[in-house]
Amino acid sequence: MLRAHLLPSLDRADVSKGGITRTEELPHATHSIVEYVHGYEEDRTLRGFRSKKCGFVTATWSLRCPRCGEKDLTEVALSGTGKVAAYTVQTVPSDEFLNEAPYAYVVVDLEEGGRITGWMPEVRAEKDLAIGDQVHFVASYKPGVQFAKGGT
Amino acid sequence: MRETWVIGAASNRFGKMKESGREAATEVGLAAIESAGIEPRQIGHTFVANAFGVAEHQAHVGPLINTGLGIPEVPSVTVESACSSSSAALHEAYVHVAGGFCDFALVVGAEKLSHLDTLAATSYFAIGADYPFEAKNGATFPGLYATLANVYQHTYRTTPEMFGSIAVKNHANAALNPHAHFQKAITMETYLGSPMIASPLRLYDCCPFSDGAAAVVVAAKEAVPHPVREPLVVRASARAGSIADMHDRPDLLGLPAARAAGAAAFRQAKMGPEDIDFAEVHDCFTIAEALALEDLGFFPKGAAARASLDGATARDGKFPVNPSGGLKAKGHPVSATGASQVVEIFEQFNGLAGGRSVPHAEVALAHNVGATGGSCSVHIFSRR
Repeated sequence: MLRAHLLPSLDRADVSKGGITRTEELPHATHSIVEYVHGYEEDRTLRGFRSKKCGFVTATWSLRCPRCGEKDLTEVALSGTGKVAAYTVQTVPSDEFLNEAPYAYVVVDLEEGGRITGWMPEVRAEKDLAIGDQVHFVASYKPGVQFAKGGT
Repeated sequence: MRETWVIGAASNRFGKMKESGREAATEVGLAAIESAGIEPRQIGHTFVANAFGVAEHQAHVGPLINTGLGIPEVPSVTVESACSSSSAALHEAYVHVAGGFCDFALVVGAEKLSHLDTLAATSYFAIGADYPFEAKNGATFPGLYATLANVYQHTYRTTPEMFGSIAVKNHANAALNPHAHFQKAITMETYLGSPMIASPLRLYDCCPFSDGAAAVVVAAKEAVPHPVREPLVVRASARAGSIADMHDRPDLLGLPAARAAGAAAFRQAKMGPEDIDFAEVHDCFTIAEALALEDLGFFPKGAAARASLDGATARDGKFPVNPSGGLKAKGHPVSATGASQVVEIFEQFNGLAGGRSVPHAEVALAHNVGATGGSCSVHIFSRR
């Protein structure tokens, strides 16, 4: 039988020194992926984080800055307003967008810095949008970050 | 590190396989071993690539392959790196053999997706990207590369014919390749008339969904006193990664992982782009071939698509690219693609490439990208 005093104490586990760590002591991101999805689906908000060191802003999920490795990341509320950095109008969708094609998949440069991706049901042909066009985040009737043409 | 060679290679015909990925992998594996003039029992380790094996309800396929080869006691491992899975497996085999852990290693990649419909196959491909942050926001796999094409076209003011020339060239090469999925040349009119899939990418900008299998045998030079074929000397085996989400990279005019893997490979080989006679590059879409040639330094930024239209990358051009037909026309059975590029170089150096032979080639490069560039492998091979 294992004797309790021979086991490492979970209470005294220290992440920085390695060893056994309790789940709640593991490093956490500014928001989980579930919180991110809940944010745009339920609260109509977009979450992101900013690196204290290089200022890089992203809306993805990371424990350290993907650009510079910085650990001090601050949660930022993203405006969802910005300009199209790149786009494509897809006529062959994936299964979750089966009934939406054609629609645009867009990469958006946000006003406050950082890039975010989304889709635009109103853009049904290449000529309906251009790089540099202003777009804004809108509440969607289905999963996925949705944008519409113009500013907020 | 020991000098390391590729001493045997084999591929089936890409397209639609009747057999399962496991059967095809075992068949090309044995063919590669036999082409090397060795026996299966000499293999010390098998490195398998079968990224979408789950689509066939099969994981842990390595022991099945080794059992089929009559060497069940030999260790195996499956290496997953999306579309660069078998070049990643080759890199692991190289590390094992060059590092002295075994004298002979088998690298085999196989994929079977043809039993799925286009929708299911498109969905499988999309999970190679960042599912919650790219695919869930509407991106398909062609869509992600299409955003690169959109920015390239906007920045360099290219014409559709420039991308079309890449497709036409690769189809012409594949027409001479018995392993190729599409053994038929196409015209520029066919290209321009093909439907848009993800603007500005048309159907003929995109590689097909292919089944296929390819294998190579990696060996230590010192273990092969009398090679039965002209071996490929591995001059460089390099890999690199980059930010997985395409939109979070510093620019959309190339793949950072390809630039890094290329630079590392040239350092290892003590060579530069000018030393390479021809290249097999990862042209899952025509834009990907243009970006690969710029990322690797074969053409200045913004010049590769234009150079292709001028014929520079044709078999008889100043720098032949994808004499096999590339992913575009030879086909892209995800996990077989990296090994298949090496099969092409092996056939070229052994005088087995027939009408698509690149004359006087001494040094060749293979560039294989994982998904949208989260991973990239670059290998450089020379004759002895």
